[in-house]
Amino acid sequence: MNLSGILVVAKPGLRDQAIQSLAALPGVEGHQVDEATGRIVVVQEAENIRSEMEGLRQIKAVPQVMMAEMVYHYIADDRDVYEGIPPELQETEPAEACAVPAYLND
Amino acid sequence: MGLTRRDFLKTSIAASTAATVGMPLAKEAEAQVKASEKGWQWDKSVCRFCGTGCGIMVATKGGKIVATKGDPDAPVNRGLNCVKGYFNGKILYGADRLTQPLLRMSNGKFDKKGKFTPVSWEQALDIMEDKMRWALKERGPHGIGIFGSGQYTIHEGYAAVKFMKAGFRSNNIDPNARHCMASAVVAFMQTFGIDEPQGNYDDIEHTDTAVLWGANMAEMHPILWSRITDRRLTHKPMKVVNLSVYGNMSSDIADLEIIFSPSGDLAIQNYIAREIVNRNAVDWDFVKKHTVFATGPYDIGYGFRPKNAEKFHTAAEMEIVKNEKVRVLDKWEAIGQRRKEGEAVEQKNAATPMKDWAISFEDFKAALEPYTLDYTAQVAKGDPDESLAAFKAKLQQLADMYCDKSRKIVSYWTMGFNQHQRGSWVNEQCYMNHLLTGRQCKPGDGAFSLTGQPSACGTAREVGTFAHRLPADMVVMNPKHREYSEKLWKLPAKTLNPQMGSHFVKQMRDLEDGTMLFSWTHVNNPWQNTANVNHWIKAAREMNNFIVVSDCYPGVSAKVADLILPAAMINEKWGAYGNAERRTQVWRQQVMPPGQARPDIWMMMELSKRFKLKDVWGEQTIPGLKAAGFEDGKLPSVLDEAAKMGYNPEMSLYEVLYATPDNKKYRWPDPVAKGHPNITADLLKDGWFPEKALFEEYRQFGSGKAHDLAPFDVYHHDKVRGLRWPVVQKGGKWVETQWRNNEQYDPYVKKGAGFDFYGNNGKSLMMGDLDKPGTDKVDISGKAKIYFRPYASPVEQPDKNYDLWLCTGRVLEHWHSGTMTRRVPELHRAVPSAVCWIHPKDAEAKGLKRNDLVWVESRRGKVKVRLETGGRNRMPRGMIYVPWFDEGVLINKVTLDTTCPLSKETDYKKCAVKIYKA
Repeated sequence: MNLSGILVVAKPGLRDQAIQSLAALPGVEGHQVDEATGRIVVVQEAENIRSEMEGLRQIKAVPQVMMAEMVYHYIADDRDVYEGIPPELQETEPAEACAVPAYLND
Repeated sequence: MGLTRRDFLKTSIAASTAATVGMPLAKEAEAQVKASEKGWQWDKSVCRFCGTGCGIMVATKGGKIVATKGDPDAPVNRGLNCVKGYFNGKILYGADRLTQPLLRMSNGKFDKKGKFTPVSWEQALDIMEDKMRWALKERGPHGIGIFGSGQYTIHEGYAAVKFMKAGFRSNNIDPNARHCMASAVVAFMQTFGIDEPQGNYDDIEHTDTAVLWGANMAEMHPILWSRITDRRLTHKPMKVVNLSVYGNMSSDIADLEIIFSPSGDLAIQNYIAREIVNRNAVDWDFVKKHTVFATGPYDIGYGFRPKNAEKFHTAAEMEIVKNEKVRVLDKWEAIGQRRKEGEAVEQKNAATPMKDWAISFEDFKAALEPYTLDYTAQVAKGDPDESLAAFKAKLQQLADMYCDKSRKIVSYWTMGFNQHQRGSWVNEQCYMNHLLTGRQCKPGDGAFSLTGQPSACGTAREVGTFAHRLPADMVVMNPKHREYSEKLWKLPAKTLNPQMGSHFVKQMRDLEDGTMLFSWTHVNNPWQNTANVNHWIKAAREMNNFIVVSDCYPGVSAKVADLILPAAMINEKWGAYGNAERRTQVWRQQVMPPGQARPDIWMMMELSKRFKLKDVWGEQTIPGLKAAGFEDGKLPSVLDEAAKMGYNPEMSLYEVLYATPDNKKYRWPDPVAKGHPNITADLLKDGWFPEKALFEEYRQFGSGKAHDLAPFDVYHHDKVRGLRWPVVQKGGKWVETQWRNNEQYDPYVKKGAGFDFYGNNGKSLMMGDLDKPGTDKVDISGKAKIYFRPYASPVEQPDKNYDLWLCTGRVLEHWHSGTMTRRVPELHRAVPSAVCWIHPKDAEAKGLKRNDLVWVESRRGKVKVRLETGGRNRMPRGMIYVPWFDEGVLINKVTLDTTCPLSKETDYKKCAVKIYKA
């Protein structure tokens, strides 16, 4: 699970429509709105980083959205944290302290 | 339970996000944030990645970083983070972090052909000392070298310069910033006589136009890009122009996209200047008071090996390298240089490319004459599928903007300009157009060089970790600068070596031809980041030399090393970086490095304990040294002079360079730490605070010289988020400078001058014509130079056999060679390996399709990579793009090691290749 806090700025006068469009996106929840500046805070939940980043792209692509950037990241305890290490490095046992990465000697 | 926890987390994240960007918070939300962050210690820090210099907040708990967020108080990013910045905490915790020294050994002994074996720090330092002594004995001070970094902390860079230049009397230290910033530096020094931009990021909120020249800011500087996007959508007159050799993400909001041919930018700049002059858009008041016209030689070579190239290059490579001696002019450069097509021009100024002289405005105007719209459009049109008429219309639109006196313009560039065979020239051309129209050093008006590394400015440039530099823009070749530095460092006269050391690429060539025997890499990945890398891998593995690589993760450079030293990373040590807008920012150590990983500064200090003055300050041989006051090829012994100063030959470099009586006054622990640890001080065990002491010593170099920095503790103050130098004291306060050379903002400007380019004070040029200097001297005090620089064609161009251009660079998700970002599973999964972007028609014509595995091959080498015909980059026909972060696709085996002859910075943006199915 990936959770990110994202700041969204709606185009002038289109805030309410932006909120509606954002709510329709999967995993996106609107949380706070600043009436004065049209700024919206959304929290996005995504299965993995690929869909998280794709989600951010979709938020940016909402027609009423002027800009959107990630602000907050929670480093959750993640059992899969070692998944996805570049394949050439995977031969090494990650838990073995002070090991010589096999990669170095091939 | 899970649901509750998730909901709780979501509300807290929303509240923290809101707080970060300064949105008002409900009381309950605030309470909830506090509850979820119980036991976390937040502290300010700086992003580890690009040169933007975003502030981040780091939370630690139980000795580990648990969260990061954009710093709401940081003026650079105002709470925002890009996707890389967002993962700053995670780069420390990759599975294959190096945690102890590793030495190639067989049967318990060092063996160049042996396997990496864990050794103790004591053993590692023993073999380093031994090999350094051997290299010094065989080759003298220039037989050793350091590959430094634009990612050094300020303290590390300063310690490294002192280690090499004052300790070992060697100028062979050069940073990877040579690959990224050197052309910008040459242009600043030649034009203004002082390094780094006059403006700052606030220009964005003041300007009407952002012109990007070879800078894909949307991907490479996303936070600055969000500020530009914001300006574009809220300020009606705001226009964005994207000049690039291929369509990219920055084109998405651009009002004008200009796809130009490799090196076509040189012609476009001159076309704009010609229009400014012909349409009478020159700001004559500014030009007459504050500038002087200048030029230099054109026959300057291409930065290849100057001698014995045949000995080291294959016949295929020599087809290109031979241009270093003689260049046969093609049609376009012949016109642009007022010569004849086919003329063979001997490159007489290859060793003296920096020569320059003053010219008249009439000569300047005459030199621009060939750069008509017709000529420029033919030379510079980069997309074969665009009509000449359409391209011309775009060039005219661009010229209209520069000629519109009411329009404010900021030009931005990064590697497209800097990594360029004529990189220093094209940087200077950009100043040409800004100076001609009086658009420099004003809010919203200026040519602004962006940086790619977090401390390319703060360390590589300001501290001066280059082969020719000393701190505060001084150089080793200048006797007055050496004298000033010797005084500050309390060194005997003539300790410092007047002979420029080897720049980055030359250090590789020195390893290849055996002039260098010992090499130490700090905070970068030279065997991945240097062009034509097959040569250098062979040099490291097959020559009799000793290669040490300090790194946090095993990369290509670690793999070719003889000894690997495990290095501490950003928040595992105290540090400071300087970003592209002259902002110096600091952080405290947050957590301990894993295992036996150690800060680089500690490694240098420990090694310096093993060398005595008598080992290094006696007479030394420097091949090729020629300087006034020095015997040819020799540095004198300074031991007698040292004795008079109270030094004793048995003293160690540690005592003389680092733990000096002055420095030991800064004691550890210090209240500024607020309870944070300092592993360097703890390991040295002699009670001083090395980072603070070195910073205080270093800042003396720039004080009173328009490079002023505030004291260490000022930067660590809770309220301070970095300060832009010069930082001077006014009414008891340390005040930063927003726009330099402008009387309204810069305390160094002469009263009543309005603008003052004081970097050139006391300097002069010979007055000459377009071809040569004359005999009359012109004083250029207070003035900036407007250079005429001609178009020059790329040294290697596609032909029948190698029919495509290759351009390399970065992608958003990864940073440089991926040593850190590829350890973050999220980033790795997002872009696991490099792909080759190609125009769909080019692929089709070769019988290839998306996802096919192909060979990309040049005269120098080949790599295997998958094809991509869609996605974020839109290549014109005839050009491919392959990013360089992926060591599985070591694209620098293919690239060409041509450099700008002035800056010695490699051109990674253009060489000729072919592709075929693997």
